[in-house]
Amino acid sequence: MNNVFIDVDYAQIYKHGQKIGGDVFLLSRKPDSNQIVCTLSDGLGSGVKANVLASLTARMAHKLSFSDMDLTHSAKLIMNTLPVCKERKISYATFTIADLRHNSDEDVQVNLVEYDNPSALVFHGSEPEYWESEKIDLMREGAFKKEVLGRSHLNLTIGSRLLIFSDGVTQAGMGKALPLGWRLKGVRTYAQELIEQNPDISSHDLSYAIVQKAHTLDRLSAKDDITCMVVYVRKPRRTLVVTGPPFVPEHDQLLVEKIKQFEGKRIVSGGTTAQIVSRILGSPLKVDMKCWSPDVPPCSVMEGVDLVTEGMLTLSKVAVALEQKKSSLTLANDAVKKFIEVMQDSDQVHFIVGTKINEAHQDPNIPVEIGIRRTLIGRLRKALEEKYLKETSLEYM
Amino acid sequence: MIRKTKVSVKICVGTACFVQGGADLLLYQDFLDPVVLANCDIEGVSCIGGCKDDTLKTRPPYIQIDDKIYGEMTQDKMCALLSEVVHA
Repeated sequence: MNNVFIDVDYAQIYKHGQKIGGDVFLLSRKPDSNQIVCTLSDGLGSGVKANVLASLTARMAHKLSFSDMDLTHSAKLIMNTLPVCKERKISYATFTIADLRHNSDEDVQVNLVEYDNPSALVFHGSEPEYWESEKIDLMREGAFKKEVLGRSHLNLTIGSRLLIFSDGVTQAGMGKALPLGWRLKGVRTYAQELIEQNPDISSHDLSYAIVQKAHTLDRLSAKDDITCMVVYVRKPRRTLVVTGPPFVPEHDQLLVEKIKQFEGKRIVSGGTTAQIVSRILGSPLKVDMKCWSPDVPPCSVMEGVDLVTEGMLTLSKVAVALEQKKSSLTLANDAVKKFIEVMQDSDQVHFIVGTKINEAHQDPNIPVEIGIRRTLIGRLRKALEEKYLKETSLEYM
Repeated sequence: MIRKTKVSVKICVGTACFVQGGADLLLYQDFLDPVVLANCDIEGVSCIGGCKDDTLKTRPPYIQIDDKIYGEMTQDKMCALLSEVVHA
């Protein structure tokens, strides 16, 4: 599993009165090469026309950055392809491409290409980084103005953030509260304040806060599409799920050692497993009689473990809820809800599955829904990976 | 006569017990007589172990009253048993 998690999110508000945005943001992950490409494009004008221009630009830039083609050549291609505006006789869309790659170490290499968008911001913790980008003149035939690309190579480490936004953010409040708009300096100061107040602020919250602030400066009637994207490099949030007792009792001690040494949240799912852990850890197990529903037995409380639930019934309900992508807000206050909340909050989930057969489950009177543990864990992993884009791993004991 | 010490009652919430009627027993606040309820110390246990004990000759769901395990428990049986123990 990776030691680095790249949290990317964006927030957007359309120009006042528009139902479609002229700013387009695209994000792709290529898991096999640990590559993430984010593209933000701002089309000329606003509404449908701008959206067409921006979508075209963003999609092309996105595809080309996954290919081996030189970025300068890609940019020329994009400019040549864009349709020409009938009124202004220009074809125009700005873009920023951030190509993020990380290897086994904790550094993330960023290849940043900017064309006419406000300059991106980088923060290490709450400290902004200043850098000079390499300027490349495209010198394209038939260009209506000088076209200069900015290229930079940046290095992000754990705790660094990269902020990319459209001119709707930097020009917010222009002619109203601020004669020249919010400007890059204003955005930088505001983002820095937010990070100082909450050093672990997620990409989602930070981008949302910046966009909302820009909207407020525009007196809640945006003069242009406002889009902000944030990349946050952080340590992954890990969760360990232990279910089922080990095949041989001699491994009980080893299982508990693994639970103790794990860095992150710990879930024990299964009555017998919980009793083993409780016995070896020496911390008593107490059933919480307030937290259950007719479908799911109550969860328990044990020191050293974040959540203790019953095994098969709870896991099968969790699998169904994850597969159907149910919101935890719609679920009853039971073990399934708590389990799902922990899952949604983690980036990497490690399962340790005990392979001992439970004699109590061999009774033919027990409903069919008590499946085989391995099948259930398989379903859970599939749902977590495909529906929630989490990383999972599995270990049998 | 009512016992001076509280009766310790443990309800098994293990999978096998829960699906075979144990869930109904957890509604003890609703079906037990308030006098009986006041004199019992009721808690859940993740597994009493009745299903793995061949000498018991009964089936889930299990509850444990003081030190004795009772199987095939229903709401009515639990009411009768507990009021017997409390009023003994």
